[in-house]
Amino acid sequence: MDNVCEEEVFSSLFKTNSKTVFNYIYYKFGNEEKAYDVVQEAFVKLWENCSKVSPEKAKSYVYTVANNLYLNVIKAEKVRLKYANKSNDTSYESPEFLLEEKEYKEKLDKALNSLPENQRATFLLNRIDGKKYAEIAEMEGVSVKAIEKRMHLALKALREQIEGI
Amino acid sequence: MQENYLAKWLNNDLSEEELAEFKKSAEYASYEKLIDVSSTLKAPDFDVDKALNDFKNNNPQKDVKVIKMNPMRRILRIAAAIAVIFVASYLYISTLDESVSTQYAERSEVRLPDNSEIILNADSRISYSDKNWKKERNVSLKGEAFFKVAKGQKFTVATKDGLVTVLGTQFNVENRKGFFEVTCYEGLVSVTFKGKETKLPAGNSFMAIKGEVLKTESPENTIPSWMNNESTFKSIPLEYVLNEFERQYNIEVKTQNVNLGQLFTGSFSNTNLNLALQSISTPSQIKYELEGNNVLFYAENAPK
Repeated sequence: MDNVCEEEVFSSLFKTNSKTVFNYIYYKFGNEEKAYDVVQEAFVKLWENCSKVSPEKAKSYVYTVANNLYLNVIKAEKVRLKYANKSNDTSYESPEFLLEEKEYKEKLDKALNSLPENQRATFLLNRIDGKKYAEIAEMEGVSVKAIEKRMHLALKALREQIEGI
Repeated sequence: MQENYLAKWLNNDLSEEELAEFKKSAEYASYEKLIDVSSTLKAPDFDVDKALNDFKNNNPQKDVKVIKMNPMRRILRIAAAIAVIFVASYLYISTLDESVSTQYAERSEVRLPDNSEIILNADSRISYSDKNWKKERNVSLKGEAFFKVAKGQKFTVATKDGLVTVLGTQFNVENRKGFFEVTCYEGLVSVTFKGKETKLPAGNSFMAIKGEVLKTESPENTIPSWMNNESTFKSIPLEYVLNEFERQYNIEVKTQNVNLGQLFTGSFSNTNLNLALQSISTPSQIKYELEGNNVLFYAENAPK
C-alpha cells in the first residue's frame, strides 16, 4: 500500500495540490506571501502525520489544515486582492472598447473584494481554477448545495455591485 | 426558477425551459458579461517546484517507520466498542418514554393504558411513561391535542407554557410558539400558567398569546372544530392562523405587505385547499397566489 511517508508519494501529493491550496487561501485572504506560508505549513503538518494519513485522505487533510491555519493566523487582516489579468496581449479592439473593459475589470476587482470570503473563494476556484462544485464542497467541508448557494449569491452580489444597483 | 439558478446555469444544469426563461430576463446580458470577463481573471504565479524545494530544504526526510497493528487486536477492539454501544443504547431506550408525533397535514389517535384517548392535531407530539402510568398520569405535549380522560387519579398535561390538570373530562390543549390555549368541553380543568392557577368549568377557554392572558368567548361546540376538519379562530392574530394553515396543508406560506397582527375571526376547511385559501384571504382583504407547494399572501393594493 502507498504510504504518504514515502518521498515519491509525498512529492506527487505536493505537486498536484499545492497550487490549489495556494489559490484557495489567496482568494480568501488576498496576500501571496501568507498564502505561500500556509501551503508550506499545511504540508509540514501532513509530513509530520504521514503515518496516520492515508494517501486518499491526504488531499482533504491538507485543505482542512490550511483552512484552520487561515482562520487562526490571518483572519484579522483586510483583503486586498488583484485578479485582473495583467497580460499585455496584443489587441485589435478600439481604444474606447479597451477603456470600457478596463473600467469593468476594475469594478469587478472592487466587487470581488467586498464579497464575503467564502463566496469569493467559491467563485474564483470555479472561474479561475475551473473547480467543480463538488470539489469545492470537499475543500470547504460543506455540501454541494451550500456551494451552489454561495455561487448564486456571489453572482448576484457581483452583478449588483458592478451595476451599482 | 429553481433555487440557486445562477449556479445551475453556470454548470449547465438548467432545463431548456428555465434557460429560455432566464435568457429572456433583463439581467441575463449582465451575467453573461460577468462570466465572460471573470474567465480572464488570473491567480498570482505559483512555482510548484520552487515551493517543493523550499519545503524539502526546511524539512529533512525522516526515516519511514511503519508499525503494523495486530489485526486480531483491532477486530477485538471494534467488537468491544460495538458491544458497549449496544448495551448503552438498550439501557437508554428502556428508560425512554412512549411517544407519538404527527407531521404536517397528519393526525393521529392515541389510546393510553387507562383507556383515556388523545387525538393529536398536525405537527404535534405527546409523550408519557408507560411504566409509571399507574402511579401518575403525566403527559407532555407539544402542539395541539384533544383529550378524553377516563375517570381516576389526577391527570396532568405539561406544555412548555402551562400546566393543565384534571380528574376526568374532555378538553383541548394547544401550545404553539407564543400561543397557549386550553378549552374545556366536559368536567373541570385546572390550568396553571406562569404560576397562577385558573379553574376552567365546561364550556370555557383559557388563552394566552405571547405570555399575555386574553379574554375569550366560550366555545359553541362540544368538540374542537379541527376534529371536524375545520380550523376555527376568534379574534386571533393572522400570524397564528397562517401557521395553522401551514400545518394543516403542509404548504409553505409567504406574505408580502400583510399585517400579521390583524385579528382574524372565522374558520377554514382542513380538506379543501382552495376553499381554505378563500376563507382566509377574503375577510382579511388580502390576495393570494398558489404555486406548487408555496402560497404567497399579499396586500390588495401593494405592488407585487
